[in-house]
Amino acid sequence: MSERNGMTGTLRQVGIDLQDAEENRGLVDAIKADNPELTIRHLPGLLKLQAAGRLVINRATVEQKLGREWDTGEFQLAIVSYAGNFSEWDDDQIIVSWEH
Amino acid sequence: MPVKALYDYDFPSADRAELFGDDQLVYVHWDGNPLFCSAACFRAPRAMPFGEFVTQLVVPWAASDPDFDPGAIQEWRLFDEPLAAAPGRSLADLGIRHKALLHFTVPQITG
Amino acid sequence: MTQAAPQASTTKAKTRKLPLKERYALLTRDLDWEPSYVGREQLFPYTSYEGIKVHDWDGWQDPFRLTVDAYYKYQAEKDKRLYAVLDSFAQSQGHLSLSDASYLNAIKLFIQGVTPLEYAAHRHFAYLARYLEGPAPRFAALCQSVDELRHCQTQIHTISNYNKYYGGFHSWSKMHDRVWYLSVPKSLFDDAMSAGPFEFLISISFSFEYLLTNLLFVPFMSGASFNGDMPTMSFGFSAQSDESRHMTLGLEAIKFLLEQDEANVPIIQGWIDKWFWRAYRMSALVAGMMDYMLPKPVMSWKEAFELYFEDQMLGGLFPDLDFYGITPPRHVEDAIAEKDHLSHQVYKILHNFSFAAAFTTQTPSEEHSRWLAAQYPATYERLYKPVWDKHARAEAAGGRIFFQGLPQLCQVCQIPMAFTEPDDPGRISFRRSQYRGETFHTCSNGCQWVFEREPEKYVQAWLPVHQIYQGHCGGATVPEVLRWYGIQDGDNGEYKGSPDARSWAQWHAAAPAQGV
Repeated sequence: MSERNGMTGTLRQVGIDLQDAEENRGLVDAIKADNPELTIRHLPGLLKLQAAGRLVINRATVEQKLGREWDTGEFQLAIVSYAGNFSEWDDDQIIVSWEH
Repeated sequence: MPVKALYDYDFPSADRAELFGDDQLVYVHWDGNPLFCSAACFRAPRAMPFGEFVTQLVVPWAASDPDFDPGAIQEWRLFDEPLAAAPGRSLADLGIRHKALLHFTVPQITG
Repeated sequence: MTQAAPQASTTKAKTRKLPLKERYALLTRDLDWEPSYVGREQLFPYTSYEGIKVHDWDGWQDPFRLTVDAYYKYQAEKDKRLYAVLDSFAQSQGHLSLSDASYLNAIKLFIQGVTPLEYAAHRHFAYLARYLEGPAPRFAALCQSVDELRHCQTQIHTISNYNKYYGGFHSWSKMHDRVWYLSVPKSLFDDAMSAGPFEFLISISFSFEYLLTNLLFVPFMSGASFNGDMPTMSFGFSAQSDESRHMTLGLEAIKFLLEQDEANVPIIQGWIDKWFWRAYRMSALVAGMMDYMLPKPVMSWKEAFELYFEDQMLGGLFPDLDFYGITPPRHVEDAIAEKDHLSHQVYKILHNFSFAAAFTTQTPSEEHSRWLAAQYPATYERLYKPVWDKHARAEAAGGRIFFQGLPQLCQVCQIPMAFTEPDDPGRISFRRSQYRGETFHTCSNGCQWVFEREPEKYVQAWLPVHQIYQGHCGGATVPEVLRWYGIQDGDNGEYKGSPDARSWAQWHAAAPAQGV
């Protein structure tokens, strides 16, 4: 499994870019909670979230932070761009990772 | 590598010589003058004497540069070879054919 | 004030009976059927001739799993939010808060050059929605077709407000089909649309929508944000979530085809090589825009190219594709060698020829030149500032230098041949090829390679300069050609003293009635 950079053994960064909007605060809090090594960079109107190798979004955590029901489909409205692959997207979870 | 197609893919070119009748397209580049983004494209009769080609077509274009001195044109080239630019000889006579590229320089011009 | 977080297991009202994956399969790929009334080849006549082999269409992954009901729900929500912003901007005279009227030249280039491509993409994805053999890619193509129509429509609405106050916006669709610099994007898309379905997926879905999308899109949207153009910025955010799906389709297309059969690998490599170069050459117009047309610049072309292409793609994506035996695009080294030159050489073209364009140009101010010098320490002051200084001297004396003639165009990218040799920026890069006894000129190693690979295609190119000389563009004089183009007085030429510039000065001249 070659998620690792062959030379140094470090995992390649995956990322998602989200709109820096008020309604996405809960979503970002949830992603932070479930991805302890997450880094967040602020650009005008944009939040760049990055993690090594894998990034996971759990519906249960998002609902907890938002205080309301949340469909994983709603992620459509928040996303701007991404680096990596959507290796899973079902009712409960979205996972971004590199395949090779 | 031919174009892949479901039929015989064979069409005439859009700018072939016969479409210009007695005329042809000629490109002219002023080497070393960065004021002009690129070479220019002219349409001229094949039988046009080279001198007229220069005074009627090339000079008005080169005069876009306010520092241009028509008398200072030198070192004509046809593609990569020096061209003996006899003003009385026609473009065709000089071997300047359809879509040929000419170059000239002007000494001491700073773009 | 806090509220108890609801337990995840009791939040669902259980209106759904099936998990997303199954729901999605039932509503998309399970609606497919084997034809009994015609042969498969008759139903799908276009999927063999390119030489691509697909053994199992069910291998196509669609991670977004949008069913039609969800699609329309989310798209309607995005539209509602966007149109609220557009209305608010129009009602509040928002255009007066732009950094400067000259900024809008970038947006004129956008609606003339990019918006028609959205429409072309809409049409071609509709064709793919019918003619791709697998139900999963057909559905993804259908969603993208509707997305692209949405992008075309929302761009038109977004930019229409500026048409009330500024020149150059009025006839973008007609101009796209006729005007010299617009043949650059038009011919690129015509090339893709007249290729087969698989080449289209690699050319547009992969090369355009994934490999180069950030280079093509982000400069316009960030430029909008920095220059007070809230509508365009909002459009950008509104479209970006669609673009995530498009990027996914592009990446899935290339991986799916590479995984289906080893014989596909060299075919796909050839298409990557061709389409990286074609789309990169088109992005030169964006380079000129971002370095020269933004009163408040965001970043330089060089910086954008290094971040969005060299780092993210060469450093991120291509190591992934290496697994399949795919190598970085041919001629990528030439693109890297050009990054200190591209924007300056392109803006020189636009500045030379804006008398025949539906936008205006201007010589960079001293302040802007300082920014350019800081962004391009190795090249700007040595190679490009002297040319702008000469223009500035002519203008100080009351003149304005334009290229009084027609340029030599590249047979493939159709841009005036202003690009220089990769190892010598003082020499224009001239390449030529012979085909059936006729000479064809190209601007670079990349375009020459593309030409010689499929000469039968490119010899048919509708080159604006040659078409003018054949009498197909309204006449032999500049005014006749501009009339045929649909360009009106004031749309074109020099920015300073233009109708846009005069309006701007007038609207900002009146002091407020009460002291601030």
